[in-house]
Amino acid sequence: MNVAGLAPTPDTGHELRAEIRRTSQNARARRVLVSRVMMTLCAVAITLAAVPLVMLIFELLQKGIPVLDTTFFLKEPQSPTLLSPNATGGVSNAIIGTLALSIYASIMAIPVGVLAGIYLAESDSKLASVLRIVSQTMAGAPSILMGLFAFSFIIQDLHIGFSALAGSFALAVLMLPVIAISTEISVRNVPQTLREAGLALGAKPHKISLKVVLPTALSGIVTGVILAISRAIGETAPVMLVIAGGYTDSWKPLDPVSALPLTIFMNAKSEWPSLRAQTWGIALVLVAFVFVLSLTARIWASRKQKVGN
Amino acid sequence: MSELVESETSPLGQPRSGGPVAMRLENVAVSFNGRTAVRDATFDVTKNRVTSLIGPSGSGKTTLLRALNRLHDLTPGAKVSGRILLEGTDIYRGNITVTELRSRVGMVFQRPNPFPTMTIYENAVSGLRFNGIKKKAILDEAAESSLRAAALWDSVSSRLKVTAGQLSGGEQQRLCIARALALDPEVLLMDEPTSALDPIATLHIENLMTTLKSRVTIIIVTHNMQQAARISDDCAFLLMGEDRAGELIEFDATEKIFNNPADSRTLDYTLGRFG
Repeated sequence: MNVAGLAPTPDTGHELRAEIRRTSQNARARRVLVSRVMMTLCAVAITLAAVPLVMLIFELLQKGIPVLDTTFFLKEPQSPTLLSPNATGGVSNAIIGTLALSIYASIMAIPVGVLAGIYLAESDSKLASVLRIVSQTMAGAPSILMGLFAFSFIIQDLHIGFSALAGSFALAVLMLPVIAISTEISVRNVPQTLREAGLALGAKPHKISLKVVLPTALSGIVTGVILAISRAIGETAPVMLVIAGGYTDSWKPLDPVSALPLTIFMNAKSEWPSLRAQTWGIALVLVAFVFVLSLTARIWASRKQKVGN
Repeated sequence: MSELVESETSPLGQPRSGGPVAMRLENVAVSFNGRTAVRDATFDVTKNRVTSLIGPSGSGKTTLLRALNRLHDLTPGAKVSGRILLEGTDIYRGNITVTELRSRVGMVFQRPNPFPTMTIYENAVSGLRFNGIKKKAILDEAAESSLRAAALWDSVSSRLKVTAGQLSGGEQQRLCIARALALDPEVLLMDEPTSALDPIATLHIENLMTTLKSRVTIIIVTHNMQQAARISDDCAFLLMGEDRAGELIEFDATEKIFNNPADSRTLDYTLGRFG
C-alpha cells in the first residue's frame, strides 16, 4: 500500500527471505536427525537403568513371597538343627525391634531436628552458620560413625548396655541433620509476603512463626521427617554395634533387640540354606516398610503443592 | 491534634484540601545502608479521601508507603527519618507500639497473599486473633462485617470453611482487604493492589475503594495513571532524582495534578511523555 507522495519501495527483502527459507529447511532436517538419535540414546539409557531394578524387584518377590507365613511374622527365631534343618522360626523380634528403634529414634530426633531447622532458617547468627555446616557434613557422614559414637557414648561412657536405646540413639543422630536441613528448607520456602502480611496485621514475630510460617511449612517438614525415618529403617551399620541382636520380642528400651537389616546381614552368612532363604522374606518386608513410608512422603509433598498455590 | 485540623496549609508549604488530617508526613526520607531511596516527602493525607502515590519505577512510592506502618523495621540497614504523624502522634518516636500502629494502619499488598493454610473465615479474623481476641461472637461478627465491607460476603458466606487458595485472584485480594478491615483501621495502605489482577477484578477493587473511603482513609500506590485519576482525591507525584533517590515533586488534589500541575515534570509524566 502506497501512501500518496511516497515513492514505492523496491522489494529488496525478497531474496533474503528465500535464502532464510532454504537455510531453515536444511537446518530442520539436521535437527530432526539429531533429535531421533538422541531419543534413541535416551531410551537405551532408561532401559539400562531399569533392567537391574526390575530384576531386583522380580527376584525379591519370587524368593521373598514363599517364605512369608504366619510363623515368619509372629514367631521368634529358632536355630535349625541337623534333625530339623528348616526350623528357622520367625523374625517377629526383628520386626518389633525395627519398629521400636524407629519410634524411639523419632521421639529423640524429630523435636530436636525440627527446632534446629527452624533456628537455622530464622537466624543469621554465626552459630547458625556453623550449625548449618555441621549438619550438612553430618548428613553426608558414613552411618557406621553414628554406631561407633553410640557405642562409645551410650555403652562405654554411660554403661547403659547393648539395647534398643543405644540403637535408636545412633539412628536419631543419623536422622537429626536430615530433619534439620529439610525443615530449614521448608521454612525458608515460606514466601516473605506471608510474613509481611502477618506483620502488617500487628502480629508479633513469634506468633507469625507459630501461626503462619510453621503451618505453611508443615507438609515439607513432615515429608523430610518421613524420608529420614525411612532412611534410618534400612540402616544396618549404625545399629549392629550397639543392639546386640536380641532373639526375643521386646519393646523395652533397655532390652537388646534385633532389626530387619541386621537380621539380613546375620542370616545371609549362615551355613543353613533355610536361614539364607529367609533373608529374602526379610528384605521384602523391609522394602515394603520403606515403600509405604516414601509413598506417605509423596502424598504429603503433593498436598504441599495444593496448598502452595 | 486540633491544631492540625484547623491549620489552612501544612507547615511546609504543600497545599492540602483543608479536611481533617489522618496522616502527616514531614520531610520523610528512607535510606538503606546509607543509600537514600526516597526523600523530602512532605504532605498531609486527608481523612476519608483516597490519596494516590504515582511515579515511574524507582521513584520510591512503595518504599514511602511501607514507612507508614513501619514495615521497614525488620529490614537490616533501613532508616526512616523525618516525622510521620498519625492523628498527631509520631509513629516512630511517639507513644504508640508497632502492634497498635499496624492495627490502626492496615496494609494490602501487590500480590494477593492470604494465609494458604487458613480457611476464608480464619483469614478474615487472623488479625484479631494475632492481637489476642478469642471470643467467638466477636470473631464471627468481625468476619461477616469485614467480608461484607470487602464485597465478598455474598460469594463466600456458604464456604467460609474452605482454604483461601481456592478463591480466584480477585477474590483473594478482596479477602486480604477484608482481613485488614477486620481490625477496623483508620488508614488502609494499598501497594499496587490491582497490578496482579485482570480488568474485571480491578474494577471491583476500584469500586470498593470508592465505597470504603467513608469508613477508612486510603493511601494507594499505583503504576496506573488512569487508576489514580479515576479513584484518588489527592495525588503525590514522585520522581527519581539524579542521585537515584526518589523525591516528592508535587502533591495536590488529583484533578489539579492531572489538569494543571505546578511542575512541568508532572505534566510530562501524566501525559505519558516518559515513565
